Amino acid sequence: MLEPPYDIVLKPYGQALVDLAQEREDVVCLGADLTRQTETDLFRDTIPERFFNVGMAEANAIGIAGGLARAGHTVFFNTFGVFATRRCLDQIAMAVAYPALNVKVIGFMPGLSSPGGPSHQAIEDVALMRALPSMTVVDVADATETRQAVRAIAEIDGPVYMRLKRGEIPVIFDDDHELSLDRAQVLVEGAELTIVASGMLLAAALSAARLLGEHGVDAGVVNVPVIKPLDAATVVGACAGTRAVVTAENHSVVGGLGSAVAEALAEAGAGVPLRRVGIEDRFAESGSRPYLFSRYGLSVQRIVERAWEALGRDDSPPAAADVVADEGTYAPV
Amino acid sequence: MSPGETSTLPEAPSSAELAALAVQIKLESLAMVSIQGFGYLGQALSAGETFAVLFGEEIDHETDRFVLSPGHYAVVYYAAAAAVGLLDRHQLAGYGRDGALLEAISTERTPGVDLTCGSLGQGLSGAVGYALAARLAGGGRRTFAFLSDGEMEEGQVWEAAMFAAHHGLGDLVVALDANGSQVDGPITDVTTIEPIAEKWAAFGWHVEEVDGHDIGALRRAFAACRADDRPSVVVARTDILGRLRSIPDTADGHFLKLDVELEAAIRAELEGIGRTASHA
Repeated sequence: MLEPPYDIVLKPYGQALVDLAQEREDVVCLGADLTRQTETDLFRDTIPERFFNVGMAEANAIGIAGGLARAGHTVFFNTFGVFATRRCLDQIAMAVAYPALNVKVIGFMPGLSSPGGPSHQAIEDVALMRALPSMTVVDVADATETRQAVRAIAEIDGPVYMRLKRGEIPVIFDDDHELSLDRAQVLVEGAELTIVASGMLLAAALSAARLLGEHGVDAGVVNVPVIKPLDAATVVGACAGTRAVVTAENHSVVGGLGSAVAEALAEAGAGVPLRRVGIEDRFAESGSRPYLFSRYGLSVQRIVERAWEALGRDDSPPAAADVVADEGTYAPV
Repeated sequence: MSPGETSTLPEAPSSAELAALAVQIKLESLAMVSIQGFGYLGQALSAGETFAVLFGEEIDHETDRFVLSPGHYAVVYYAAAAAVGLLDRHQLAGYGRDGALLEAISTERTPGVDLTCGSLGQGLSGAVGYALAARLAGGGRRTFAFLSDGEMEEGQVWEAAMFAAHHGLGDLVVALDANGSQVDGPITDVTTIEPIAEKWAAFGWHVEEVDGHDIGALRRAFAACRADDRPSVVVARTDILGRLRSIPDTADGHFLKLDVELEAAIRAELEGIGRTASHA
């Protein structure tokens, strides 16, 4: 694992998808008027005969994806997460999830990573997709995982929803990192507290664990790139021996990673105090990522505060130092 | 012909033979619906002729694909599929019963149904996906989508129509049952979907508009679709009560309720039409 501020790369998804499609004739790419924004201009320019821009018609795109998949294609449908899930939930349920087809729905700009306000911020996409039978839900943390995830989800014989950060993608993991769609990963062992994180909040979780460690709390971090099906065994195993658990996700605290972990801990009878860091059941507004992540508590500081609270500490929690990300780098808020 | 007989349609059936098939489809549907005393019989009465022409003549069951967008038309689909040997006709008696294979609103669990479409307005998109896949595979395979007129209220139909015309999917054919009926009553009471033919034409489709109870007119319309490079739609103007005198005008055609007398009257009238058709 690397240290913040992290280097950034561009279009890891777009390039990985082209690489996959050049090896596999069955891969088809659908878009909805967001070609450059979803990194699929690479696909359009390289393999135009298997690229279809359906236009601003997400419901139709899902139906077409279903038809293509039934005829033997592996379909990647790319748009923003809000449009991919809110606009066509019924279509995904009936045309993709019920028949368990090989359609990969890729939702860009997860949570509050979009400056576009409530119309563009997918804050409940994981909850919606997680509720659909047969759907696998993936939220990766960095460019290394993104590249590996493209190939891994193509090998799943069934529907997948994957949310991806748009634009500058941090590199948190070295090339020797191995993404698993079956297993959550204990990245940092911790005897006193477990932070369970997914997607864009993994970086904040790692920084929070480090800060807690510096203040005498032995905090571990579990990386959960696959929220459904959740690797409950690893999550429960990591949490059960510790005094408290904090989940961290760039998503509503309702129905996402925090809910999935709560269900797993409760069913295992783990009885560990739990706090969920995420968007606290409210809509946000327009603004930059650092501003919104700070304002809505998707931050290192918030994770530390919630950990402090869960551990029953009555002294003041340590303060997170501002990490200044220079141009061309990425750091958690 | 009465329910229980097996149809042996020739390779190139005559209009009289297709008319007899339409009556058989309606009688089979009546038998299925009468078990529970209510159901989607009106859909079979409006679309029986369209299904007879599609299943008896137009569709190549070896290669072509068929999408049933309004899943509650399953009854007429089952009857047609059984009549041409795509479905074991002994299964028809289980239609709509608990645990039966033939669901009242079809899903792909049902033998012969390859797209789940009960949520209206979605079928054409799936058919477009099939047509696109057929083109990627080199062509030679047509896709038929059966739609009902009420579905035109769903915006997704027009998303799909626009896409199909833009991509010139000439091997895509829509059979549109324009029976003017939806759950809340006549479509004209709910919203204005007319002019139907002009709407499809404006979206870049080849349009045929015919009397959907006229076998000859339906055959000519589908034949004309084959000759056109654009995606095609056949607007079949029909009556939800199948123009049967035995059903009161006041009946709710969308979801008919049958008592023993009404069922017998409908059967007698259909059998009379069948005898006339087979002697034509």
